[in-house]
This record gives sequence, C-alpha cells and structure tokens, in this order.
Amino acid sequence: MSARTAVRIAFVAFVSLMAQSTVLSGLRIGGVHPDIVWLLPITAALVAGPYAGAVVGFWAGLAFDLVLPTPFGLSALVGCVLGYSVGSLTSAVDERSAWLKPLGALVGSVAADMLFAVLGAVLGQQQMVQVNFLALFGVIGVSSVLLILPVHRLMRWALTGEGRRRSLVSAQAPSESALW
Amino acid sequence: MAKSRRSRRTLTVIVLVVVSLSIISLDLNGRTHSLTSGVKSVASSVFSPMHRGMVDILSPIGNFFAGALHYGTVQAENQELAATIGKLRAQEAEKGFENTQLRRLMALENLPFLQSLPTETAQTQDQYSSNFTQTITIDKGRSDGVDVGMPVVGAGGLVGQIIQSFHHTAVCRLVTDGQSKVGATFGQGFNAIVDGQGPGNDMTADLVPPHTPVHRGEILFTSGLQAAAFPMGIPVARVTSFHTGAGASQESITLAPVADLSQLSYVDVVLWSPAP
Repeated sequence: MSARTAVRIAFVAFVSLMAQSTVLSGLRIGGVHPDIVWLLPITAALVAGPYAGAVVGFWAGLAFDLVLPTPFGLSALVGCVLGYSVGSLTSAVDERSAWLKPLGALVGSVAADMLFAVLGAVLGQQQMVQVNFLALFGVIGVSSVLLILPVHRLMRWALTGEGRRRSLVSAQAPSESALW
Repeated sequence: MAKSRRSRRTLTVIVLVVVSLSIISLDLNGRTHSLTSGVKSVASSVFSPMHRGMVDILSPIGNFFAGALHYGTVQAENQELAATIGKLRAQEAEKGFENTQLRRLMALENLPFLQSLPTETAQTQDQYSSNFTQTITIDKGRSDGVDVGMPVVGAGGLVGQIIQSFHHTAVCRLVTDGQSKVGATFGQGFNAIVDGQGPGNDMTADLVPPHTPVHRGEILFTSGLQAAAFPMGIPVARVTSFHTGAGASQESITLAPVADLSQLSYVDVVLWSPAP
C-alpha cells in the first residue's frame, strides 16, 4: 500500500467520523442512529479483498474507538474481522453485481453490530445486550443499504485513486494484488 | 510467490486481531487503563474543536432531517412545553416562600443540600454517540475540575455520572444506561437501588421489600448513605408502576427518570466526589 493510498483512506475515515458524529448521530429512529463505521471495512473488502478489508476495518475501528464510550479496541477488532469475512465471502463474486453492495451492507452491518454487542457483553459491558435489537437491526440495515453507494465510491477513490466512473476499457474489477 | 504473499497477509490479519485484543485488555485492566485513557484524552483534545466547528456548519442539516423525521413529535412537544412553562410560572410564585423556609430548616439541620455544592455548567457536545450505551459528552473536563464519579444534574433531576474525564471534555453515563446504579430513598425512609435498563426500557428499583408502601408518581431521591456515589437529595426517578408478585422476595417497581433526558443541551456537573 502506498503512502498516498494510506492518506486517502485516513481522509475517508476522518470524513466518515465527522459525518457520524455531526449528522448521523442526530438521526435517531426508535432510539437508534445509523452507523457508518462498518461500511468502511465492507466497502474496502468489496473493492480490494479480505486483506484490505481487515486493515481498513482495524484502523477505521480504532479511529472510531477514540470517540466512543465502549471499550477501546472493540470496534477495531470487529472491523478487522468484518472486513476479512466480507472479503473472503465475496471474493468469488463479481464486484459489479448489482445486488452485492446492498446485500453486503445489510448482512455485514447487522452481523457486525451483533458481534459488537456480544463481545461487549462478554467483556463485562452487560448494557450492550440490553438494546432493542429489532429497531437496531432495522435502522442499521436500511441506513447501511442507503449509504453503501456513496461510501463505496469514496473507498474506491481511496484505494484506487479513481475519482470517476471507469471507462468501458478499464471496467474490469482491479485485482487485489494490484491494489495492495 | 503468491502463496508466500497470502500467508504474509494472513499473518498480518492475525497480528491485527491480537493487537485489538491487547488494546481491549489494556483498556479494561484497572492498572493500565490510564494508558488508553491518555490516548483518548489527546484524541479528544484534537477532535473536539474540529467537531465543534463541523457541528456549527452541519447541525442545521442534521436538525432539518431530524425535524422532518419527527415533525409530529416536535409539534406535540412544543405544545406540551408551552403548557408546562405556564404551570411552572404559577408554581414559582407560590414556591418562593416555601423554598426560603426550607433552606433555613436545612441550614439548621446541617443537611447536605445540592444547592450548597459547587457546580460547573457544561454544554453537551455529543449525545448517544454509540447505539449500545446511553452517554453524553460534555465540553468540560479535568481542566475545569470535572472528574470521574461526579454527579451530573439538569433538566429537573439526576442526569448521570461522569465515567471518563479528559482534559477539556468528559463522558457522562446517563441514569438509563444498563450499567447505571443509583442508591435512592423514598417514602418513610425506604431504600432502593435504581437500575438503568438500557435505551427505551423502564428503569427499575431493586432491593425493595414486598408490599412496601409506594404510590404512582412518587419520587425517589439519592440516598447519600455512607460511601454513596451521589450526594443526598437529588431527584432520580418517578414511580410509574409497582406490584408484588405472589411469593416474590421483593416488590417490582418500574420508574421513569425525573430529568428530561431529551433536553440535555446544558447540564450541571456537581463538583462532589464520592468518599474513597
């Protein structure tokens, strides 16, 4: 990974963190707000595979951990596992499939929140399993499906440097090794 | 070549997982918690001014969407607030004399009273940053005398307690959080533990003997017993329902917070620390 790519990923993580803490945190439906943090490893894994997903998930999670009251490192752990899992499970699927991004966002975000709550409870934070999971999964799932496209666009730019839609000639999905 | 790259990457992912687990154990260990707390404190000092600037720019957008989503609720709340203000104005006029008498009595009895304790007014920077905890972040920290364990009051009663204190900011756990426990007293000197049950759930009162006389709307105050985490006399919660089941070892009481936790733009931190 080049230094330029690392800076772009850091920028995307920072923008996401700001969007989360300023706008998304205020959009509470049934006491739950959308959570953008899981979309970063999911989109990184979809663009560049499990290794990129794990690395982006770790660093983005760690950045979010700095401002969250939950145990420090928990988002990093979940982000890392999430990125690797999504990348591994979707490695055989064409990235351009229309259903891949929304399905990845829906299943990935819900699974990540479930893992986050269970690990938190295992670590002694019992209040993390005292939430209304139906509302949580509903809001997180729907908002992730809605947000996946702009986040995916940002992550693609961060990982490949491509700002616009690629032409038909370069429309092949970049290989994992070409990016990382 | 490709196999060696793959195994190197697998190793990196394993290392990242191990590093995450190590950071978590550092954070949860009482002796090393100061390390992670220090990192968070530095991050908070850097992040807070940027966050504040961004909030000033972006909050109208967030408010617009939030208002659009909850338009009906906002309208109903406004009407309710207008009615409440009217009632409070009338009550204020009546209560002036009673308050003076009460203060005199308390001074005579030498009872600790919240108004005699110093407070630090703080503005709420961030509410419910995580879906899994009930916390607010305030713009006062260690440099303002705000420390871990201090009670936070506002919006009519006890709001919560400081659980993390950084240089210029602090995190307050709300009374409704699943980890919140407050020693309280009510009625003719009965004691209870007020337990938060997480977002959207009623609070409960624990350790209340069966058939203890209680009535709906009764207010529980902090007990201030020896080694208590809060000074006495702060209104905590209001009884919403109660019953004693057949053969139950304690009365089942559900509560709602006295403080309006949806109106926490400003809060007061009571500069009072629990006895060690």
